[in-house]
Amino acid sequence: MTETEQPDAAAPKTHFGREFGAGLFLLAIAAFAVWGAWPLAFGQLSGIGSGLMPKSTAVITAGFGALLIAQSLISGSAPLEPWSVRGVVLVLGAIALFAATIRPLGLAFAGPSAILVASLADPSTRAREIIPFALILTALSIALFKFALRLPIPLAPPLLGY
Amino acid sequence: MSITRRTLAAALALPLVAAATPAVSQGYPTKPVTIVVPFAAGGPTDVIARLIGDHMTRTLGQQFVVENVGGAGGSTGMTRVATAAPDGYTLGVGNMGTQSAAPFLYQNLKYDPAKGFEQITILNYTPQTIVSRKDIPAKDLKELLVHLKANEAKISYGHAGVGSISHVSGTLFNAQMQLKPALVAYRGTNPALQDLVAGKIDYMVDQSLNVIPQIKSGTIKAYAVAAPARLKSLPDVPTTKEAGIDFIFSAWNAMVAPKGTPADITKKLLEAVAKALDDPAIVAKYEELGSTAPIGDDRGPAGLQKLVDSEMARLAPALKAAAAAEPPKQ
Amino acid sequence: MDILDKLSLGFATCLQIVWVTDPLLGITWPIPTTLLLCFMGCLVGTLIGVLPGVGPIATIAMLLPITYGLPPVGALIMLAGIYYGAQYGGSTTAILVNIPGEATSVVTTLDGHQMARQGRAGAALAIAAIASFIAGTIATLVIAAVGQPLTRVALLFGPADYFSLMVLGLMLAVVLAQGSVPKAIAMIVVGIMLSTVGTDLETGEERLTFGWTEISDGIDFAVIAMGLFGFAEILRNLENPEARDVVRGKIGRLMPTGAEMRQSAAPIARGTLLGSILGILPGNGAVLAPFASYTIEKKLADDPSRFGKGAIEGVAGPEAANNAGAQTAFIPLLVLGIPPNAVMALMLGAMTIKNIVPGPEVITKQPALFWGMVVSMWLGNLMLLIINLPLIGLWVRLLKVPYRLLFPAIVLFCSIGIYSIGNNPLDIYLAAAFGLIGYALIKLGFEPAPLLLGFVLGRLMEERMRQALARVRGDYWTFVQEPLSLAFLIIALVLVIIAVLPAMRRSREKAFVE
Repeated sequence: MTETEQPDAAAPKTHFGREFGAGLFLLAIAAFAVWGAWPLAFGQLSGIGSGLMPKSTAVITAGFGALLIAQSLISGSAPLEPWSVRGVVLVLGAIALFAATIRPLGLAFAGPSAILVASLADPSTRAREIIPFALILTALSIALFKFALRLPIPLAPPLLGY
Repeated sequence: MSITRRTLAAALALPLVAAATPAVSQGYPTKPVTIVVPFAAGGPTDVIARLIGDHMTRTLGQQFVVENVGGAGGSTGMTRVATAAPDGYTLGVGNMGTQSAAPFLYQNLKYDPAKGFEQITILNYTPQTIVSRKDIPAKDLKELLVHLKANEAKISYGHAGVGSISHVSGTLFNAQMQLKPALVAYRGTNPALQDLVAGKIDYMVDQSLNVIPQIKSGTIKAYAVAAPARLKSLPDVPTTKEAGIDFIFSAWNAMVAPKGTPADITKKLLEAVAKALDDPAIVAKYEELGSTAPIGDDRGPAGLQKLVDSEMARLAPALKAAAAAEPPKQ
Repeated sequence: MDILDKLSLGFATCLQIVWVTDPLLGITWPIPTTLLLCFMGCLVGTLIGVLPGVGPIATIAMLLPITYGLPPVGALIMLAGIYYGAQYGGSTTAILVNIPGEATSVVTTLDGHQMARQGRAGAALAIAAIASFIAGTIATLVIAAVGQPLTRVALLFGPADYFSLMVLGLMLAVVLAQGSVPKAIAMIVVGIMLSTVGTDLETGEERLTFGWTEISDGIDFAVIAMGLFGFAEILRNLENPEARDVVRGKIGRLMPTGAEMRQSAAPIARGTLLGSILGILPGNGAVLAPFASYTIEKKLADDPSRFGKGAIEGVAGPEAANNAGAQTAFIPLLVLGIPPNAVMALMLGAMTIKNIVPGPEVITKQPALFWGMVVSMWLGNLMLLIINLPLIGLWVRLLKVPYRLLFPAIVLFCSIGIYSIGNNPLDIYLAAAFGLIGYALIKLGFEPAPLLLGFVLGRLMEERMRQALARVRGDYWTFVQEPLSLAFLIIALVLVIIAVLPAMRRSREKAFVE
């Protein structure tokens, strides 16, 4: 996930830069799709099979991927920007945590934990602010989604049973 | 003027709707009950589930809330019901598709319609109606069949996707009448109906609930109702028997509970549903929707189990034959 | 009945006064209950629609049970109010936090959010409200005047014609692209690929679901939109603390300048026209309207390079198209009784529960209901304007909340919103995965908007293609034999040439200069 390319200030273009990464990305998506759609029938022209769309789009995507890679190798491209690992892990982790805890532990737990974990992604977060904020926001959400809108979201199964 | 006072109260109380009603009953139910409907809100199964659920809320004193869990032709929702805790607080409303046709349509079905639930009762039957686009020169069912056979190379049958009621009933109908139309798949009944009205496909066999409005306004033609008796909402449409063929097909909806739900709870639920089904307002509603309620022995767990078993037996050969007959696409 | 009679019948229905005696003072008050219900619907719809990830479908499904105790006309008008409110709320989120609530709000994010970043959020929100109101007024008149004959036009469309329309739409997406054209096309193709995930309608096979039955009905739009736009945006903002705080410092004017209003006038007119026509097409043709409007405005503008950087025409036109399409989408439902999209299908369900069977019968047998609904559309738009213009100040102030508090709140609301779609944690995981992909796209220089467009149109296009071919048993000539289909394909070809020609000319000039 972490890819740090130290951009050389004197030579802004590099052969394995952004376009190269973009091309690889497309190839990866295409490969993933072909793998997933492998057993589907392609069909003939007179009877399009279920596999035609997934496989053709995968092939076309791969084609663009190859095009971008070729362009990058021939004429070079802007270097890759560094990725922020902290943001990715904490924010997406918070979302995944919410997904994992919403049904077994309910909104009362999943809400504050998601907010707290996500907030760690920003260095300027202060505990004095974020903890009460998390609790208030969760309470507001419960009032809005659970009571006003009557959505079937689990509230706190371990405590209340629903 | 109680209606308007209710309206006013509802309008003003909108953002402040509180939770359950204050009635405290000894024993079941003591908190809101979830009715899982495995299809999108607004569809035929959802409408019936909400009607009955609403009535049960009033008679049993706790909220019966419909939760729509759509996906995979209804299997996602029914799987959720099958694996839920058998404490009476999760119920499911399935239809003929999920409770009888599913095992033959889906490879890895994660629930068993015949043995994996506590059957509670059938909720309603909706017979299929045979309809066509309005320009076909046929006055009755026999002429329609002649026309369809004569134009076999050009006719098309529309359905709402593999596993839908219009697909299953169409498979059976076409097999029985020995018709081989081009099968056109749509995402749901509405686009299929739209193309039928526009005259782009030739015929459909679908739930009366879906097609009654179009028949009444004359945008499509109806030939027969696949039921033992004529529908009150379509008095001019003959039954299939009257029209000369032997094809009875009703879509139906039924309420089930997770396996192991205690008998006293299921008994209470059955009583509440029976009360709902006997309520004149619901009877009138059913009539309008082209539905009939189960009566006598058809009500209750035994009636539902019998229906599930007989439907599975009836559908198995036709669905398996259709699956085998599809030309292998290489 | 001529049009004035019809409209006055409609107004009479909407402004009906009911005399209610209150128990406390014993005074009998005249209460316009229907109007009140319309207002409540618009208000609640807007507030819920603003929640990231909760689009019109989710909002109506959520609030449907509230309408059970209400009388039919009132219930339907309230639901319609919820619908427009949710549409507008979705546009609000698109502008403020770059999260499109529905397919039709995707285009609003392009320039609307850029305007917000430049401190012109107030102007963006205001022009969206004003454009929507004007479009709604005109669309209501269109429905009143020619609604019924227009459905006959809609019935001319068959699967082949829809397919070609979708192809046209995809060409629009290419023209829409800001940056590199090959990358935009690649994104469209990836979007189409994502749209194939799910159960195949014809064969029942699972495609690209990797065994997860939860997505056997396809990936929900909101899941992709929130991941690709919402979460990815958060990740990007967290990287650049200086950039985002400076932006949030500026508030700017709350209303557009006179010059901006003049600039928006023609786009609004064009957008309304596009939306009104496309909205009538059953089969969700309305989703094309904002994209078409954006493309046309970009092509007609004096300085197309402004688009994508906060051009007000890029908000005014699409928002007008959006709203006009949303209004005229009621026509197939009310006149034919066939809902053109998922929202209308919900409305149909609500009507069924209320014993109303829409269709040609409703207009003749229950004219008060039909024309009441038509007039309520205009009243709903008026109320939205009245409700939302003051709210703009509130929303803009929301942007001043420190980002370190704002983004966890967005994370929470989005997650709850996604969960409410199908009560399925897998959807939330998927949205997180799309957040990662969206972040990768940003880093690698791709644009997410064409992907979303490809996703929405791709599914429609493939379904229509296979339906068209199934009807004629595989005869490909059907696409040029059907006149409408041929027409759309020719327009698409012309669009491609227009798009490609300048590029070709430029490279020839370059070669010439060298």
